[in-house]
Amino acid sequence: MTVPLRLGAGFVLALIYGFILLPLVVVIASSLTAGELMQFPPQGLSLRWFARFFADEALMQALVLSLRVAAVTTVAVTVIGTMAALAHRALSGWARQWLRTGLLLPLLLPELLTSIGLLFFLYRIGLGKTLIGLQIAHAVVTLPFAFVSIAAALDQLDPALEDASNSLGASGWDTFRHIVLPLVRGGIVTGALFAFVTSFDMFTVSFLLKPIGGNTLPLALFDYLSYDYDPTAAAAAAVSVVLAIAGVVVIEKLVGLRNL
Amino acid sequence: MSAADASAARPAQEGARVPSGRPLTPSLSRKGRGRLRAGPWLLATPAIVLLVLFLGAPYVDMVVMSLRTAGHGTPYGTGFTLHHYAEALGNPVYLGALGRSLMLGAIVTAGCLLLSYPIALHLAKAGRSHLFFYAIVISPLLVGVLVRNFGWLIILSVSGPLNQVLRGLGLIDMPLRLLFTQGAVALGLIHVFVPFMVLPIAGALRKIPPDLAEASDALGAGRWFGFWHVTLPLSFPGIQAGTILVFVLSVSAYVTPALLGGQGRTFLSILTVQELLGSFAWPLGATLALVMAAAMGLVVLGFLAATRRLAERTAR
Repeated sequence: MTVPLRLGAGFVLALIYGFILLPLVVVIASSLTAGELMQFPPQGLSLRWFARFFADEALMQALVLSLRVAAVTTVAVTVIGTMAALAHRALSGWARQWLRTGLLLPLLLPELLTSIGLLFFLYRIGLGKTLIGLQIAHAVVTLPFAFVSIAAALDQLDPALEDASNSLGASGWDTFRHIVLPLVRGGIVTGALFAFVTSFDMFTVSFLLKPIGGNTLPLALFDYLSYDYDPTAAAAAAVSVVLAIAGVVVIEKLVGLRNL
Repeated sequence: MSAADASAARPAQEGARVPSGRPLTPSLSRKGRGRLRAGPWLLATPAIVLLVLFLGAPYVDMVVMSLRTAGHGTPYGTGFTLHHYAEALGNPVYLGALGRSLMLGAIVTAGCLLLSYPIALHLAKAGRSHLFFYAIVISPLLVGVLVRNFGWLIILSVSGPLNQVLRGLGLIDMPLRLLFTQGAVALGLIHVFVPFMVLPIAGALRKIPPDLAEASDALGAGRWFGFWHVTLPLSFPGIQAGTILVFVLSVSAYVTPALLGGQGRTFLSILTVQELLGSFAWPLGATLALVMAAAMGLVVLGFLAATRRLAERTAR
């Protein structure tokens, strides 16, 4: 490539990567302002809005609820997703294809439509506006993330290892526990992390199925952005950005991003 | 969507390679091996029950709900009627909103494609240093849509950095009203969905054997000729998957139009949620949601039909 062309291409790439990162950088920078107003560039540096965020009772309740829902969701879909991924590995032909498609459906169907269907259905079976209903909805929507990641890890596992274990007399459970599980741990952790973060950030589902008196952090943040516009919201947002960065680092350490 | 699209939409998973170059398990050898004593269907049961009960049934319920009569003081009545379909398809307010939503989807999809292709090309090249760039593309996926919209709320505000820069450059005298416009919604959605376009295309590009480019070079084809006749067509399955995904997601998006969009002439997703949560008119809300789904489905089918030739030629 000629030098000017190479420079031009580099410039275009830098612009696009910059575009991707810009809003995140702006939110974090705004949360560090010492001033009274939400603004960029920030006026002086301080952590006062983080202090305000962690002192705000409503936001803290929302944060705790979000963490709780995300934790329960993660445990549930990691177990269910691992079982489904093992089934997917053992099956072949059309059954395998159907199982995969079915498990990916919640990801392919628009979240808004799924939420609307669940709004009606949960109401009719008496779970409308309850925490259990919200919990179930989060599990349905995050299940594909867990499944896909675990199934991909299982695909890379050499079946000879299980054959060896089986022929040496290990039971199915022992083979799973001592051979399969340690080898696909990275995939399971990645799936669990994606499920956790997706549930933690989920807005539309929580918005339509909001339990009485239960605000999750994204819902509280939405109210904040719609009415009360101060840097506390930026601090709340920055906290979730930091969580996400921690997630990326953990995934990279465990399995490597290229294998995602 | 077919299963092939489904897996292409998450190229990340499908594109994963066996590190040692070991061949993947031939599917024949899968049979007849007892991994866990419990049969595979028993293992899949919790997932299937969860999805049939809380994904299948709700969609059926949405169709039933759209046929119910309006309620008085309740979200829905006891009788059945087709009235809501006549309302949704006859009222210019809803039709206009549907048109705007579809147009928004088209603009966002085109914008994402334009921004994503260079990134995907860049990512598809091998090299450890690209991990950093992967992280840049994936990290917004892990940050909620809300937070990313929030960034644009700050950037586009009247006293925000964009207006400051434009004034500093002397391009404008008065700050522009950028927020709460359809342009702001399109910009916000493009930003949200770029990763959904980059990942399928990068996955498709990685599957192209490098010798093809070398062959094209060796045979004397220019760089642009090679790109246009080799790389671009071969990456088409990724483009197709990304396009469908981004279109469907942006037409049905709710948060971004709600936060960055204006009041007045709004999108169908906003009107639908207003009917459901504001007016408690569940049958009408269900009908609007289904009309949106049907319109998206028709556009996607049209797109698949129009690009079938290209896809068949390249998806081998």
